[in-house]
Amino acid sequence: MAKLNMPPPHGGELVYRVIEKREYAESMAAGAIEFDLKATTDPNGVPIRHVYREIISVCYGFFSPVEGSMTQNELERVLEERRLENGWVFPYPILLDVSDDDLKALDVKEGDRLLLKLKGQPFAVMDVEEIYKIDPKDVATRTFGTPEKNPEVVRQPFDEKHPGWMIYRCMNPNVIAGKWTIINPPKFREPYDRFWLPPAECRAVIKHVKKWRTCIAHQTRNVPHTGHEMLMKCAAYTGDIEPCHGILVNAIIGAKRKGDYPNEAILEGHEAVNKYGYIKPSRHMVTFTLWDMRYGNPIESLLHGIIRQNMGCTHHMFGRDHAAVGEYYDKYATQILWSEGIPSFGFEAPPNEVDKGLKIIPQNMAEFWYCPVCGEIAYSENCGHVKQKQKFSGSFLRGMVAEGVMPPKVVMRPEVYKAIVKWWKVFGYPFVNNKYLENLNKELEIDLAPMEIPKA
Amino acid sequence: MVHYIGVILDESRLAKIKGTPLEEKIQDLFGGQLKMLVVEVPEEKSQEILKAFDRARIDSRGFIEDLPVAFKRALFEEIAKAKSLDVIDKVLERLPEIQEAAKKESEYIPPPEIE
Repeated sequence: MAKLNMPPPHGGELVYRVIEKREYAESMAAGAIEFDLKATTDPNGVPIRHVYREIISVCYGFFSPVEGSMTQNELERVLEERRLENGWVFPYPILLDVSDDDLKALDVKEGDRLLLKLKGQPFAVMDVEEIYKIDPKDVATRTFGTPEKNPEVVRQPFDEKHPGWMIYRCMNPNVIAGKWTIINPPKFREPYDRFWLPPAECRAVIKHVKKWRTCIAHQTRNVPHTGHEMLMKCAAYTGDIEPCHGILVNAIIGAKRKGDYPNEAILEGHEAVNKYGYIKPSRHMVTFTLWDMRYGNPIESLLHGIIRQNMGCTHHMFGRDHAAVGEYYDKYATQILWSEGIPSFGFEAPPNEVDKGLKIIPQNMAEFWYCPVCGEIAYSENCGHVKQKQKFSGSFLRGMVAEGVMPPKVVMRPEVYKAIVKWWKVFGYPFVNNKYLENLNKELEIDLAPMEIPKA
Repeated sequence: MVHYIGVILDESRLAKIKGTPLEEKIQDLFGGQLKMLVVEVPEEKSQEILKAFDRARIDSRGFIEDLPVAFKRALFEEIAKAKSLDVIDKVLERLPEIQEAAKKESEYIPPPEIE
């Protein structure tokens, strides 16, 4: 086997649409039509998505080669074939949607420049390429598929209980398409700032600081238990002539649901894994991407592959029920996509074997459990003591944490538990609750410096 | 279908059931690092529990999880009192009181005192 090297960014070039120089930024925004970015809310008024997270991920290159809100042709091609207009694979509609009232008030047309504001400050600009209408329910359903159209992996129709379907379902009926450029770079609050490593920087760190030739990505939105740790360690044994040099943990940070662990505990919990030597820091690094998770299982895995390829990873581990909620998809939908393709979603072959596809290599993994006979955490494809297995259950662990019982170290490292307790003391609660959500939706993960825009 | 609720036993709970027939029913988990009693819950009772607590769910092992701490505490109290695992009816009789305590739990749970 030939030695592997860092793959190129998806689409060939890393997108970077961030203006650091204040004078250029101000001149770009001068005279632009102002628009305050708003959260997408569910029918109860609860925020379920905020487009600024997509703007940041696009402009810093996580979603390369996407450069902004999609045109109608591009949206259609993504929904039909999971391809951008230039032919590169991309799974999800990325859209700036506005209400009828806002569109009327904006009085905007093609060719105009919009100044997008966040937290009362200038944030980004966009040159309007197109304004068009969508049927949000149709976009939602076509994004995730149906049992009739996608019988290979879709097991039941998507509905209001699916958080990703609801994000698209609750969008406004008008889309403003155009490229985004950040003119007021966000300042991440603690502890996010320590883990903020956008693709260009991440690639440089992997290559020149960590000196990893190969690197496997681990997707997370959870505090790690030892099952996760063992998954990372064992998946990293793949590589080329030797195991992967590095493990890149990339947390998806975005809309939260009650009962989740707080973002802060997730990031610091993963950090504890390397800080306390369970996987050496020279081999393990924690980062995050802003994205309101759509829970699209195989569809989501494409986005995860793109993000981590753009960050410089050679491999990506995929487990059972990857980025899934409920039983809408086959448990193995992601692994089916990456091992044989899903023709009804536009993939006659795995996404890393099609033209203009991904270059990242999948590592499909089965389960880990504790085996009392083996006396260790065992891989399901090795361990023959199926009757005696003791599965890692996230909800069982949450119950233990809520009762104030420190999980045994064979299940959760004490330092990871201490990261949970640290943030429990800050928020008065170990998990996301109403108060946490209210605070997150008000404060966001970022602050923006005050910026005066000169009149045109 | 029968579902299950696991009651974790820390040192203080173990002391409360010492010398009772319950000791024989203690299950070892994760190489004996965790001790647990497992209560069987018939289908209609598990539905009643799921209805009473909107965050409760049945996990892939068939265990009812994400129950309020107040429910788990009441369950252990009844187990210790009856010295038996056949107490689910007794716990369900206390549902209004448990639901009231659970409401407070959704906003604040005191953190454990660890460094």
